[in-house]
Amino acid sequence: MKRITILSGKGGTGKSTVTASLAVMLSRNKKVVAVDCDVDAPDLGLCLGVQDKDYEWTPIETGQKAELDESKCVHCQACKDICRFGAIGWDKVKNQPVFNRLLCEGCGSCKLVCPMQAINLVDVENGRIGHAKTKYGFPIVTGQLKIGETGSGKIVLFIKTKAEKLVDKESMDVLLADSAAGIGCPVIASINGSDFVIAVTEPTPSALSDLKKGLKVVEHFKIPYGIIINKWDINEKFSKKIEDFAKESNISLLGRIPYDEDFVNALVNLTPAVVWNKKFEPVFSEILEKLDLR
Amino acid sequence: MRTLKMRVAITGGKGGTGKSMVATAIADYLAKDKKVLLLDLDADCPNDHLILSVELKKEKDAVNMLADIDYSKCVKCGKCSEVCKYNAIVHVKGKSPVLIPEQCSGCGACIISCPVNCIREGKKIIGTIYSGQKGNIGLISSDLKPGEPLSEFVVKEAKEFARLKEKDYDVVLVDTAAGTHCHVISALTGCDLAFAVTEPTPLGAHDLRLILDLLKILKVPAKIVLNKSTVGDKKLIKKIAEEYGIEIFSEIPYDKAIIEAYSRGEPVKNECIEKIAGFLEK
Repeated sequence: MKRITILSGKGGTGKSTVTASLAVMLSRNKKVVAVDCDVDAPDLGLCLGVQDKDYEWTPIETGQKAELDESKCVHCQACKDICRFGAIGWDKVKNQPVFNRLLCEGCGSCKLVCPMQAINLVDVENGRIGHAKTKYGFPIVTGQLKIGETGSGKIVLFIKTKAEKLVDKESMDVLLADSAAGIGCPVIASINGSDFVIAVTEPTPSALSDLKKGLKVVEHFKIPYGIIINKWDINEKFSKKIEDFAKESNISLLGRIPYDEDFVNALVNLTPAVVWNKKFEPVFSEILEKLDLR
Repeated sequence: MRTLKMRVAITGGKGGTGKSMVATAIADYLAKDKKVLLLDLDADCPNDHLILSVELKKEKDAVNMLADIDYSKCVKCGKCSEVCKYNAIVHVKGKSPVLIPEQCSGCGACIISCPVNCIREGKKIIGTIYSGQKGNIGLISSDLKPGEPLSEFVVKEAKEFARLKEKDYDVVLVDTAAGTHCHVISALTGCDLAFAVTEPTPLGAHDLRLILDLLKILKVPAKIVLNKSTVGDKKLIKKIAEEYGIEIFSEIPYDKAIIEAYSRGEPVKNECIEKIAGFLEK
């Protein structure tokens, strides 16, 4: 059993497109579960032809928000003074706190400090997780943060727990997880516990800078990794620079994927590139070979 | 006296649709006769300085509170661990609590709950705030330290730092991260207008809905910028624009020259960008 997470730092380098094609290729010889950990912008399903209506969804509550019991408030402002997230304002007319739901982290400091127990923490539904079977026979687990809510990292943990259940139940060989752009909380939750990380980059100064930051996080968790240069031929000179960086840093280069408008066409038709056009198969099977997963 | 005072966000939901490309290009265009403050609030992956070739100078550390337990006074009651919503304090009965610094959000609930006042306010560095200058463009950049999860706090610090400088500028441009969670919410809060940069693919469309929903909640008026408009399927975005009653303000074609300029690390010059910048000037 191998847990592989795809990361990139920079958005739009092709994480989901690459993950979808790798998953399809892998599923021909192995038992695979695809996992979408990008709860801010979950797109892996779309790349595999799975749409919102195809999932079986379960709402989840991983967050709490502070709420005021007006009848008990003695207007002392202790809650407002203690909040470090700027989530409590003061309503001068009513002379009582106003809670900004968008900023409230649900930490409970205000509740602890309130002398009248006038503040309660209530559970909020801040997202949902879903699962479906792809047309290609393997399952996908996904999740989505409810707009305006916080706690994407926790939703990622829920998704991973759900995926692990499938791994146990169906004795999967590979769990392939697509993470969000960036390097913050949801990405950390995605890569933590992985056996290997694939970083997908592209030949632009921005992507290389973000790749390096992303790899620092991976190193922080002591997880082995390799890189894929996507759209490598849009700037061959810069691709060479990335390759040199990989060589110097002893990073394994798993593959180079060319730019091809057929990737966009495949995407528009909600079809993985390797299914849309067989010409893409060799480049992805080489990557799997390098990963020792053929 | 500076006249044009507005805060305009460049966001988009999906990553890689061209947010930074658009933000830097608008900044570059407006800077011809305006003073522009560009805030790179993609603390996870700030890139605007690379595109504009601006050398950054460190202004300050982004610091967050970190609980600091004085074990000499600790009575091992475990109250701090009980109240911590971030699972940052582990307590086994009869033993001293153990703090996991990476998990601590700095909320201070443990400090309030400790019956013997043995937890103090410590601090940890979670990122850096940088600044740079290029002609009329002032750049303030937020940079999250790898391994730290709380991007939104670095964004907040960068915003606070920027607030002190804003009076010297005509316009403030805010470049956000991809996605819709806390660090994007924090970046968008207080903006007068947002351009949602998207692409004509099902992914671009899917994530555009999410960011437009978020902008609605935040009460920030939105306009759509359709990047790479000549590849993929434009109808996907048109449908959303109609549904939300938001205009597709500008379309930027897929153009090798644009990609090459971007890949060289140069701000893009294009008539579609001029349209956006021209609108902001008015």
